[in-house]
Formats: sequence, structure tokens, C-alpha cells
Amino acid sequence: MTLELQLFLLVWGTLVGLDLVSVPQMMIARPIVAGPVAGAILGDLATGLQLGVLFELFQYDVMPMGASRYPEYGPATVAAVSTAHAAAGTLGLGLGALVGLVTGMLGGLSMYVVRRATQRAVQAVAGRLEAGDVRLLVRLHVTAIARDALRAAVVTAAGLALAHVVRLYFGGALPLRGVTLLGVAAVAGAIATATAGTLRVVGRGANLRWFAAGLAGGAVLVWLR
Amino acid sequence: MTRTRRPPLGRSLLRLFTVQGSWNYERLQGIGVGVAEEPLLRDLRAAGNGAVYRAAVARGAHFFNAHPYLCGLAVGAAARAEHEGATPDQIERLRSALCGPLGSLGDRLVWAGWLPVTSGLALIGVALGLGMDAVLGFLVVYNVGHVALRWWALRAGWTHGVRVAVALHQPFLQRAAAWSGPAMALVIGAALPLSAAYLAGPFPAWARGVLLGAAAVGGAILLWWRGRLTGLRYGLALLAVAALAGWIWR
Repeated sequence: MTLELQLFLLVWGTLVGLDLVSVPQMMIARPIVAGPVAGAILGDLATGLQLGVLFELFQYDVMPMGASRYPEYGPATVAAVSTAHAAAGTLGLGLGALVGLVTGMLGGLSMYVVRRATQRAVQAVAGRLEAGDVRLLVRLHVTAIARDALRAAVVTAAGLALAHVVRLYFGGALPLRGVTLLGVAAVAGAIATATAGTLRVVGRGANLRWFAAGLAGGAVLVWLR
Repeated sequence: MTRTRRPPLGRSLLRLFTVQGSWNYERLQGIGVGVAEEPLLRDLRAAGNGAVYRAAVARGAHFFNAHPYLCGLAVGAAARAEHEGATPDQIERLRSALCGPLGSLGDRLVWAGWLPVTSGLALIGVALGLGMDAVLGFLVVYNVGHVALRWWALRAGWTHGVRVAVALHQPFLQRAAAWSGPAMALVIGAALPLSAAYLAGPFPAWARGVLLGAAAVGGAILLWWRGRLTGLRYGLALLAVAALAGWIWR
């Protein structure tokens, strides 16, 4: 993979990371968008779509409410696609999931660090904010957005570096059964996570019947295909 | 009372797209809300009320937390109240009173409704072979709703001012909130088997059996240990077990 492509992925991952909370929340941070675009950058849309679907399922575990801490799956999906691109097929899925989940955890941790840093910056100028200093208010806000952009870039870079290491050392080292099992684990983990995450929101009321109806409809479609 | 001829709602709306940019554990969305409200307060300064303007800006940046797409409602309402000469105490109470309802309404409408419905439809589209068209469709459809909701919230806030609670009882909001739960459940329910079949396509038959079992057990464990075990940790644990099993079973 050329340095140019890695840089494109870094820029895309940064935009994706910025979109999650800061600007503009138009959902390019969703894995179902971040993955296919990363795949398109690499000229491998199929892998991008596959990893996008996989991490979108993991995403259903997350309700991004208030001060709750959660993993960040956008840049994680970009790193996962970068891993899987070089190792096509089922091997790509398992190794991509591994890199993506670790990067997602790192992303969640980094958001906490950045929010604390912004908190300290706000506390440091609390008096001037109370005096209605507009320039300071806007500068504080813009600086915080820049801080989040830097965070997203660092997380994406770390994910891409991890992807590079995994491609180098694990790409050809696993036997066929191991490769298949890794892929199975990735998909099973994603399906279990999406099911549990959805059921937590659906609850035991009338919506559970709608969920069951959807499940049956989806299963029929699979059978028909 | 200070009346604006044409409030710069567009400028405020643009700033609202960054409302969570300075999210922090001290004021949560407060700084972003203050930045978004500031253009609507400039008339106060133009009217020669520099001190009133600065005090209003400072109030706008106090603690606030709600759903980001509905923050505009509080921004518009608070700015209108400042123009209508409401007391600082009334404005602080208005902001506090809006946090809970805007948070829960937004979570139901968007995070647990519109977003999973549209992304679930994208998953179904990809699984059925629509590829990038499904992804682009998701982005367009989702954001039509997203931008419309932000714009409606800001306008409603500015229109109603301190009586903004009226806007929250709009029939379309009540209907949307009532439908979001069933729609989400139906779409995600349908997306699950289709996504599983799409991802498991290249696996041999034995592997699909293992997948089904691991997914069922995993779903039960995640529900049982809710709050203690996250999907991410379960996924990583499963990958570790798979790597170990693959290494032993050569």
C-alpha cells in the first residue's frame, strides 16, 4: 500500500472521527459509510462494504448519550478495511475485526482524554466567560474542535499502524482453519452485539413483536435468496 | 424589549452543526450552545446594550445538555427570551427545564429511531446487493431528516420563546416518537439475518453452524451481563478464543 493511499485513509479517518461528536454529525462516522469509502479509496469496495456491515452491527451496542463512554467505530472501521484489504476473503474479516475493535477501544479512551482537556481549558478562563467575552468563547470552541480533529487523526494513525503490523506478522501465519474461525468469531460477535443492543432498546413490550416480525421477514428473504 | 427585524437564524443553524465541538465534563454542551446563540443576540449590542449583550452571551454558555439536533430549540427560545426582556432567572430556568425533555425526545426520535431505521435499511440494501447505492441512500435520507429537525427546532425556539413547551407538543413529534420504536425494531430485526447471511457467505457449512451457536450464546450473555460486558469486549474475547482454537486445531 502506497504512502499516498495511507495519507488519504488518514484524512478520511480524521473526518470520520470529527463527525462522530464535533462537526457536523452527518453520520459519515457510521461504519456503514466509513468502511465503503475507505474501501473505495483502496480500490476495494467489496472489502469496505463487508467491514462496514460488520462494524455497523457492533455499533448497535452504542447509544451516544451525554457523558456515557463508548467505543469509536468510525476510524476503527477505516483501520479494519486497511487491514483486510491486503488479506482478502475470510482472513481479512477476522484480522480486520481484531484491528478495528482495538482501535475502537483506543478511540473511546481518547475521547475521554480530549473532553478532560477541554474541561481544563474551560475552567482556566471561567471568569472571562462569565464576563461575556465573545472572542474567548469562540476561540475556546474552535480550539476544542481542532483538539478533537487532532485526536481523530492520532487514533486513525494508530489504527493504520496497527493494521500494518498485523498485515506484516499475522497475514500469512495463520492456518486455514484458524483463518475461518477468526472470521466466524468476528461475525458471531457482531451479530450477538447487534441483537443484544437492539433488544435492550426494544424491551419486552409491543416492540418485541415488531422485532420478531422483522427477524422472520429477514430470515424468509435469506431463504428465498 | 428589543425586537430584531430578521434574526440571523441561518448563521445560528450553521454554528449548531458544531454544537458538541467543545463538549466537556464541566458544562457539557454549554460552550457550543453559547457560540450558536451569539448571532441571535447581536441585536442587543446594536441597540447599545453592551452589558446586556455580554451577560446574555455568558448565560448562553452555561451548563447545557440535550440531544444535539434539538439544541436549537433551547438556543432560539433563550435568545428570544433575552430580546423580550425576560429576567436572568427565568432564562436559566427555561434552559434547565428544556434539558431533560429535549434529551429524551431526541434520543427516542433519532438515536433509537431515525438513525437505526435508516442505517438498518442501508444494511439490508448492502446485503441485497445494492452496494454503494444503499450507503449513499442512507446518507441522503438520514440527513434530510437530520437537517430538517435542526432547522425546525431553531425556528420553533425562536418563534415561541419562553412558551417553547408548546412546540414540544406538536402532533407530528408525538406521532414520530410513537412510530420510531416499532419501525426500529422491525428494520433491525430484518437486517440481522440478512447481514449475517451476507457476511457468512464465504464460510463452509460447519463454520456457519459454529457462527449461529456463538452468536446465540453471545447475545444471551450480553443481555444477561448487561452493563458489565460490552459488545466490544465480547468480540475481542471471541477473537482471542478463535485464534487459540485455530492455533491448536491445525
